[in-house]
Amino acid sequence: MRAWIYAVFLLSGFAALLYQIVWQRALYAIYGINIESVTMVVTAFMLGLGVGSVAGGAVSKDPKRPVLLMFSLVELGIGLFGAVSLSVFHAVGEATLGMSAFATFLVTFLLVLVPTLLMGSTLPLLVAHLVRSSKNVGKSVGTLYFVNTLGSAFASAAAVLFVMKSAGLKGTVQVAALLNVTVSLLAYVAHRRSQRPAEIAKVLTAAATESEAAE
Amino acid sequence: MVDDPAYAARGMRFGLALGVAAASGFIALSYEILWYRVISFASLGLSGAFGLLLAVYLLGLALGARIAGAFCKDDAAAGDRSHLRRLAAFTFVANVFAWLVVPAFGWSARIWDWPLALGAVAAAAALLGAILPLVCHFGIKPDDRAGANISYVYLANILGSAAGSLVTGFVFLDLWPLQQASAAVTALGMMLVVVLLALSGGRTATRGVGVAATVASGMLVVLMTPRLYDRIWERLLYKDKFDESSSRFAEVIETKSGVITVTNDDVVYGGGVYDGKINTSLVYDNNGIQRAYGIGAMHPSPKNVLMIGLASGSWAKVVSAMPGLEKLTIVEINPGYLTLIGRRKEVASLLTDPKVEITIDDGRRWLRRHAQRFDVIVMNTTYHWRAHATSLLSMDFMEIARAHLADGGFLFFNTTGSDDVMKTAMTAFPFGLRMYNFAAVSDSPIAFERERFRRVLDAYRLDGELVVDPSTEQGQKVMDDLMAYPDTIAGPPEEEGLESRENILARTKSALVITDDNMIPEWRTVLRLHEAP
Repeated sequence: MRAWIYAVFLLSGFAALLYQIVWQRALYAIYGINIESVTMVVTAFMLGLGVGSVAGGAVSKDPKRPVLLMFSLVELGIGLFGAVSLSVFHAVGEATLGMSAFATFLVTFLLVLVPTLLMGSTLPLLVAHLVRSSKNVGKSVGTLYFVNTLGSAFASAAAVLFVMKSAGLKGTVQVAALLNVTVSLLAYVAHRRSQRPAEIAKVLTAAATESEAAE
Repeated sequence: MVDDPAYAARGMRFGLALGVAAASGFIALSYEILWYRVISFASLGLSGAFGLLLAVYLLGLALGARIAGAFCKDDAAAGDRSHLRRLAAFTFVANVFAWLVVPAFGWSARIWDWPLALGAVAAAAALLGAILPLVCHFGIKPDDRAGANISYVYLANILGSAAGSLVTGFVFLDLWPLQQASAAVTALGMMLVVVLLALSGGRTATRGVGVAATVASGMLVVLMTPRLYDRIWERLLYKDKFDESSSRFAEVIETKSGVITVTNDDVVYGGGVYDGKINTSLVYDNNGIQRAYGIGAMHPSPKNVLMIGLASGSWAKVVSAMPGLEKLTIVEINPGYLTLIGRRKEVASLLTDPKVEITIDDGRRWLRRHAQRFDVIVMNTTYHWRAHATSLLSMDFMEIARAHLADGGFLFFNTTGSDDVMKTAMTAFPFGLRMYNFAAVSDSPIAFERERFRRVLDAYRLDGELVVDPSTEQGQKVMDDLMAYPDTIAGPPEEEGLESRENILARTKSALVITDDNMIPEWRTVLRLHEAP
């Protein structure tokens, strides 16, 4: 089960970095590549991830919550946003051309908030899931951070060596969106498998209760 | 939060975990900003190099996180304050490795350009990447709130990273050259080590020795920085041709927007890329300045001109003096060029010329935010294969430029020898021609007219002196050569001559039209290593 989750999170990291590369390029085309614009876009991404992390952490507090199912929904959400993201960026970019630097930052932040919030929430959700069984924070964080960042590293190399050249911006986000949907499905399968022992226990308990009642 | 009193008493406080996460994020991102600047110069701004730097950096972080897992096996020890010493040791080594990355680029340049130095980036990133999991393991209890607490530590790390990006990118690199900015970041890293050691458990004397050793090491690092970072830009530019005794730039201007260097023979490099020579002389033309004068041959009366990119100021100086010109608007992304121009008497008058208006902005964004139309839009564009070059070369940009051309106006820009760029320009506009490596394109018929060129040159004066004085033998010869230049459009295409749009389209059939989406020039050859000049 753990290997399954690690593989899923590696793919998630791969998709996330493809988005980051494409969205940054798209936003630079709209807002410029001067140091102020670049910093604004990067900061907006980081803040979104940070806020998402807190949201994911808050959701994961309740041990009864099915965090794997939530992770699956989050990935689906990222994929759905990703699929329409370039059109959204373009439309908003056109509408906000004359804004001040601060207003532009706010719009950029809001623009990337939804997907980065979802992306940022994934690590705490999976950490919560793994810590429930391993009881080791360092190993859980280290391994999840490892596979997710490794996925991102692969994505960065793949993007510059193959993907961007052959797929362009639109094609690259489509690849990423497809990966997110795949990750969502795989996470859902993991969720169902993790629920199975509980379901079996529930069925056995019910059967035992019925049997006792019959006796 | 650590709400178990016993745990809190013997463990690392959660607040400290947040602080360390933030500080380590600040330091890691600060280093990444510095490395980004160095690889940008070393690779001449190659898109592929940035991608590989990011890949290697992330790979390092990933491996570091994995390695950190090996130090988190002892579950019972989580929260033990004595582990702060281990964290301090990691932070110290990470800091030293990260500090050595910039010199590693300098050493690597002599052997195999910049790729070798990526190994140093990976090693330093691995050590930096190990810090966050170690902080989490020592500062967070493995209970149901682990996910929530991780999120706060992660948030602190991200906020620290964002602050590092802002402070180092905006303040340090604007105030100081690279070596001082790097020394400042390393000093901050050493301060974090000192704090960790001071708060770690154990004997006071042992901690004191550790703190003293770290302070001494930090001072040593700061003192050694000028020596290890000595002439780093020269090393990166001249590579295996770097000479310890003679390789030294005449000027180095470093701002938050980039690095501008000038050699002793007045060659300007922006971010390590040839940006032109400081020369306005048509008689001693060593920088293709004839192309700037050629504007007068292609437009009957250019009164209002926009120039995107200023660089050495030579082109701007020539265009600003064009007979009949009323206004030259210049949009430059790097304010460092204003400093350079102010120091050069050949072009310094640009800064006080009432006809010249200089704005610091991204050229494309400026166009999208302004409605003015111009007789000519000039761009001595940088190499087509550099990162973000697409934003000024794509079909999408051509449409933006078209909307800013007055009736009869044309866009005149450097294709830097790219067939893709040439084809894009000639496809976007119904009229056009090539002059050297420049494309002149318009919605109106355009021609390089000999008599118009003669009239313009006859009246052309720079700082009161004729640019070509036909009363001298040399001036007459130059004038004759220039008057023969329009004939080159009729003959077979020459590299430095004129070429018709039809001819260009016929010979660039296999080239591709560039769009914002496909970014062809940037990805056509992802990795290319350049000869030293």
